[in-house]
Amino acid sequence: MFESAHAAAPAAARLPGAARAVRRSGPRRPWLRTACVAGAVTLAAALSACGSGGSSSGSTATLTFADVAPFSGPDAALGPIYLVSCDGTTSAINEAGGILGHKVACTTADTRGEPADAVPAVGNLLSTAKNLELVIGCTSDEAASVVPVINKAKTVMFCMTGQSEFDHVKYPYFYRLVPPDLAESYAMTVIAQNLGYQKIALAFGNDIGSQTFVQPAVAAIAKAGLQLVANETLDLHATTFRTEAAKIVAAHPDAIMTEALGNADPTLFAEIKQLNGGKMIPIIGTSAAISPVFYSACAKAVGASDLAANFHADNLVTATSGPAYDAFTKALLAVKGKVSGAQTGDFTTYFTAPGAVHLYDGMNLAALAMVAAGSTDVAKWKPWIAKIGNGVPGAVVVNSFAQGVADLKAGKQIRYVGPGGPTSFDAYHDSPGIFQIDTYSTSGAVMVSGNISAAQLRAVTP
Amino acid sequence: MSLLLASVGFGLITSAVLAVAAVGFTLQFAVTDVLNLAFAAVMTAGAFTAYLVNEQGYSVWVALVAAMAASSLLSVALNYFVYSPFQRRGAAPITLVIVSLGMALIIEFGIAAFAGGVGVSYQMSQGRTITLGGLVLTTVQLTIIGISVVVMAGVHALLRYTRLGKAMRATAANRMLARSSGIRAGRVIATTWAVTGALCGLAGTVFAIDIGTFDSSSTDIFLILILAAVFLGGPGNAYAAMLGALVIGLITEVSAVYIQADYKYAVAFVVLLAMLAVRPSGLLGVKT
Repeated sequence: MFESAHAAAPAAARLPGAARAVRRSGPRRPWLRTACVAGAVTLAAALSACGSGGSSSGSTATLTFADVAPFSGPDAALGPIYLVSCDGTTSAINEAGGILGHKVACTTADTRGEPADAVPAVGNLLSTAKNLELVIGCTSDEAASVVPVINKAKTVMFCMTGQSEFDHVKYPYFYRLVPPDLAESYAMTVIAQNLGYQKIALAFGNDIGSQTFVQPAVAAIAKAGLQLVANETLDLHATTFRTEAAKIVAAHPDAIMTEALGNADPTLFAEIKQLNGGKMIPIIGTSAAISPVFYSACAKAVGASDLAANFHADNLVTATSGPAYDAFTKALLAVKGKVSGAQTGDFTTYFTAPGAVHLYDGMNLAALAMVAAGSTDVAKWKPWIAKIGNGVPGAVVVNSFAQGVADLKAGKQIRYVGPGGPTSFDAYHDSPGIFQIDTYSTSGAVMVSGNISAAQLRAVTP
Repeated sequence: MSLLLASVGFGLITSAVLAVAAVGFTLQFAVTDVLNLAFAAVMTAGAFTAYLVNEQGYSVWVALVAAMAASSLLSVALNYFVYSPFQRRGAAPITLVIVSLGMALIIEFGIAAFAGGVGVSYQMSQGRTITLGGLVLTTVQLTIIGISVVVMAGVHALLRYTRLGKAMRATAANRMLARSSGIRAGRVIATTWAVTGALCGLAGTVFAIDIGTFDSSSTDIFLILILAAVFLGGPGNAYAAMLGALVIGLITEVSAVYIQADYKYAVAFVVLLAMLAVRPSGLLGVKT
């Protein structure tokens, strides 16, 4: 990427207009021509040194990781989660000496969760961000519109989209450490089965990211032999959902599967509780519900004890102890209280928030790939992501960026295994994990109440 | 529980909140000649003012008074520093609409920058749930309906029986003629901004109480409902706004029983368009 300055000069020289301009205004005296050539070479060398990264140039320009996600709009809670992860990860990378001597910093692009806002935001990011090495975030809200743009700009991205359209479409610069949304729908159905619920209501937001769960959930519920008694779509821009809540209560479900972020779910839960005689109906959420902001809003709406007693969510299995977890929590705690928009609720919830965990792993994979390649040129380091993620024969397992750099310096092959567990990228750069069942304590801490096996998932897969 | 009856109850709550906002909006428009699209943003500012006061440990009903005062001041300031200078220079009405839209964005994003993009809630109980026939309402929702009824009665009394109200009506009908009759139109307009600003703060706070969790953009779609209520009833007429609010509130909630609920606002607008096609001046508007 930073070698672009080298490539720019010949490209400019090929421009016919540029050639004509040289012919028209070129110096006629030999000494002046020599001086100009010498000056141009010096200037080019200076520009090259400024613009190029990588260890070969000796430059230490700061590299940029960009958090492309909603920071406003109904899904505004997502951007700050990723930013906590970005700031924490880059802080740990910088503390370990940076990437090939480069410091790393985070920047943001607010997509508002809308494709129409996301494309210009990403366009602005790509044209203004200096030394942009990596994009993280790109949720289901905006992935379909921004992934092609980022891919065209040849920028590696670790996305949090579960949309199934990315399962078998090849974007060379697209990577994903989260499962497709339909797998989450199956996981929610397994949770319902495990808890003995028979009658299920669905209440999903009308945004792209939430609607993608609906059809797989309907199919999985049927496959599992459960009964779908209500299916409500929630307009995330609406302010109340009383009639939707009344319909759900009237259908007498045993549980409600839902993803409607922003104010929608808290409002819906409160209205259901009111209309159900002050009693909550059990809720099964997606992994997006594992965030301090979600907990805080819902606990205020229905009461912490009611939420703790009636809420389950699927989540990817993540480490809760061990060296990878220790390095991860240390990195995030280093930025506690310093990240704008992430001051709500129990900070430890970030330790299990899928966005925080898996993007941390993605950023470490990218950073270690650059170190392994000895370059910040994306063409050189990108192939190392899969090598370091999947491992090669004889590779030693490392659990943090610092550990990986030390082993690489010692001439070893490495395999990175972070708090999100081992990765296994397929041909489409997908590395789906395995699921667990999370609940909240009354204080908002996330607790693991069980696991979902591959066999259970297969049993409800249509 | 009968869904239809329950939805009528929900519609009454929506109508109650909407009526307070729509009456404030239409009075402001009638007297000042400004179609103030920043009205909903000022509502949000009021709701957040109440939130700040509530967070200090005060009751939300005390916070509501603070919200009314803050929104009143903000509205007066908007007029004094923004709209009045444009009007003095003879800006076209559409220019003022665009200016007000800009102010709405400035206020909304200002609040977002200050409060963040996440939802907040008041520290309060929604009270007991009361079932009346098929209606299911909490005591707080009944209080909101009561507040709305009191406000409507108050606005009626203001317009009918006070000198200020009569001056407001005269200024709304014909500003030049009102001036010729000795009415200090400038003072009436400034007072109207203060009064309607207070209504705006009241509407913002009861809106936030009603929905439970709110953020800087929560009133975005509510502004559309306010406009629908005002134009359905007949713009510039407080009583028409009350009627419009009742119709829009009921239509949105009752229609949600029979159709996919996320289309309920679309139904309200279909009714509005149909109504305006038949009677462009609105339900209570004067045919010209």
